[in-house]
Amino acid sequence: MLEFLDSPRVFHGIYLLGSLMLFFIGLYGLLAKRHLLKIFVSIEIMELAVYLILIALATSPGETAPILSDGLLTFTGMADPIPQALTLTAIVIGVAVTALGTSMAIQYHRLTGKVGVGEMTELKD
Amino acid sequence: MTLHFTPVWFIAVPLLLAFLSPLWVRLRLLMPILLGAHVALFALALSWIPTVRVAPLLETIVIAPPLGIHLHLDAVSLLLVALFNVAGAVVSAFLWLSHAEPHLRGRPAFILILLLIAGSSGMVLTGDIFNLYVFLEIVGVSAYALTALRRDKQALEAGLKYLIVGSVAAIFILFAIVLLYLQTGQLNLAALARDFGHIPAPMQALIGLLMLIGLAIKAELFPFNFWVPDIYRGADPEITALFSGVLVKAFLFVLFHLVFLLLADPAVARTWLMALGATTMLVAEAVALRQQDLRRMLAYSSLGQVGLITLALGFASEATTAGALFHMVNHTLIKLLLFLLTALMLRRFLSVRLADLQGLGRAMPLAAGLFVLGALAVLGLPPLSGFASKLWILKGFAEAQVFWPIALILLAALLEAGYYFRWIKVFYAPEPPVTAGQAEGDWAYTPLLLIAGLLLLLGVAPFLLEDWFVQAAKALLGRGAFLESVLGVQP
Amino acid sequence: MSRVPLRKRFRVQTLLLILLCGWLLMLHLTLLLNHGLDGLTTGVGDTLLARNSETASANAVTSVVVSYRGFDTLGEVTVLFLAATGVGLLFAGGLTSSPVPRDRDSHPNEVMVTGTRLLFPTLLMLGVYVVLHGHLSPGGGFQGGVIVATAFFLRMIADPAFTLDHARVDFYESLSGSGFVLFGMLGLVLVSTASFLGNFIPHPVAAMGQLVSAGVIPLIYLLVGIKVGAEVGAIFQDMLEPEPAPDHDHAAKEL
Repeated sequence: MLEFLDSPRVFHGIYLLGSLMLFFIGLYGLLAKRHLLKIFVSIEIMELAVYLILIALATSPGETAPILSDGLLTFTGMADPIPQALTLTAIVIGVAVTALGTSMAIQYHRLTGKVGVGEMTELKD
Repeated sequence: MTLHFTPVWFIAVPLLLAFLSPLWVRLRLLMPILLGAHVALFALALSWIPTVRVAPLLETIVIAPPLGIHLHLDAVSLLLVALFNVAGAVVSAFLWLSHAEPHLRGRPAFILILLLIAGSSGMVLTGDIFNLYVFLEIVGVSAYALTALRRDKQALEAGLKYLIVGSVAAIFILFAIVLLYLQTGQLNLAALARDFGHIPAPMQALIGLLMLIGLAIKAELFPFNFWVPDIYRGADPEITALFSGVLVKAFLFVLFHLVFLLLADPAVARTWLMALGATTMLVAEAVALRQQDLRRMLAYSSLGQVGLITLALGFASEATTAGALFHMVNHTLIKLLLFLLTALMLRRFLSVRLADLQGLGRAMPLAAGLFVLGALAVLGLPPLSGFASKLWILKGFAEAQVFWPIALILLAALLEAGYYFRWIKVFYAPEPPVTAGQAEGDWAYTPLLLIAGLLLLLGVAPFLLEDWFVQAAKALLGRGAFLESVLGVQP
Repeated sequence: MSRVPLRKRFRVQTLLLILLCGWLLMLHLTLLLNHGLDGLTTGVGDTLLARNSETASANAVTSVVVSYRGFDTLGEVTVLFLAATGVGLLFAGGLTSSPVPRDRDSHPNEVMVTGTRLLFPTLLMLGVYVVLHGHLSPGGGFQGGVIVATAFFLRMIADPAFTLDHARVDFYESLSGSGFVLFGMLGLVLVSTASFLGNFIPHPVAAMGQLVSAGVIPLIYLLVGIKVGAEVGAIFQDMLEPEPAPDHDHAAKEL
């Protein structure tokens, strides 16, 4: 009954719809929200949406993980390993940036008591 | 076992030195090593000039391109790497020799400055687009942390703003890279350049737009540069010297490198890029007129120069490109000089607002003199180097019979004269100076005098480097040669 | 509540933003559905997959991460290192901030502490396993390193008697990072590979699938694991310790 899901176009289409919606939910949060932590959450959502697009669209239905294990003896019929490696790299970078960002937000809050981007006025002349 | 000097040293050596930093703290060698590394890498860059003149140097990492990552050392990347290391050396010498605050001389500052320069070199050298993203993030994270280095309210606010804007820009760039990979299956720049034409046109436009927005935010182009003056106002002037001198130049190079590579005919984007450059220049110069804080004024002035360089590079003729590269070098040197002077003034006067700097000429005659020199170099007055590079750009436009950029550049120079002389007039005002901070020793001026000497030298004898700039412009514009050197076939 | 006028309940700005984002979404969706659905036909990934047996690593993702695109991984470790440096800098002592409200008197109960202490070695073992089998099965230096860091993090929040020695964490971080670069340089200077990060240890294809195989790949992944574990652990610790940590700047002041 669900065979139509095995067609690459449908498979990719579903992932594309979901991840693009995520991306623009993130963009909305980024533009509409004023709280620093909410902004970091929005940025993370946008990043995750991009990773999802990369992983989902580079893999076709029916491909296995590119790892030799019991029963698999050749590297054929496997998913492209590069997007997975790129995503791994990008996730770690995203984590690093978020860690630095939240630390700055915490310290800024401790010094000034402010949490919103709208109230950031220390640099006004 | 042989010792290979390869371009990978520009990245591996700073990384190693940064990872070993606890050892340098224990040996109390932080500042000497920071200076020494940049001087050594600059010497290394110079030693390659004869090789690169013949053919670009390709450094394969693990597997040959287009499959793997490679570093591409040609005339233009060599020029920029050498420039970045000079800037790193000047700033570290200044930090070492002057009474810099402790936070600028500690282990975090050492790591961040070293890797900021290394990351910028990596962005310029790499021949792989995802590797470019990684270096972009190395540069980004070190820049965010450097902005917040002083850890007071203003520095933290500037750091936060920079981090948010920078990560959003990085997401756009990553999205463009992902789409490029999904469309072509390639990550190598040369292979991407070959296959970009086969992507459907609407997709090309989307990728181009995402990339342009991301890189324009990073390279501080109008209308994506609203955040820049705040960053320059909040961070330490020693750090902003690096931002204006190194970071922006690296991003500008990446932007134009991608434009010239991916688009078989750069004329497609010419109007857009030139318009972007011209508006950046005019808006920034106009706003700079009424700034009350020296750091803000210099930030807008820096944006104006970035606009000028974009305008000249966007035109993509050989003469304007060579002139723009020359101007990049000049602008880096000038802004290093001006921002480091700002640091000295800030230490002496504890404020760099226009009203507080009255009579600076009497309290710090050398600083005021060097500031005048720097201002004249920005304006492009002979015999300083700014004159030679601006003249080259103008000549390039005149040869191509395009006159509106010439008018705009001259108008911008007029505006520049307006605001720089407003500050110089205050410096030499008859009122007695009100100094609250400590005076600086003569040693702090050594790196500044060195830059001033270089500005004069390049102004009097531009022919020393003229050949190199022409070669660099050819390398930057030479899409066919780039593809041939990497892929081995003429497209 | 009920008497709030409509224009105050829905702000025009929000509505416009939603419309803008929705419009952009539709634009991207149409574009990508029309042109981006066919997936990858040929790319460098397939070529690398076909050539993967030359690395003798049973996990193709690992050979891409550590060997073919090892330079990216070095850069990524560097980004993490920079972020850890930045976080350490921000949370180092000496800030004139308002005292942090933190309930010092509430200790975790005995069950919690004992459970955590029992779980700790298991988690460590799992982390080490994941790191060491990175070239054979899913996982590797990053995943395993984060598991190890989590083990320490659990102890830090649940066990009041546990403290992590900052100097030792710094030492491991520094050692593994420089080890990575030195491995890379060794690949460069040895004639057999002559490439940065080249796989200079013999790696016969016959050994594929065994624990000792794939040359330098498991060694580099081990270093990555140590580095990621140390850095993520250091970030956790810095965020957890608002009281003045050892001042990073004190050495500089003496200079």
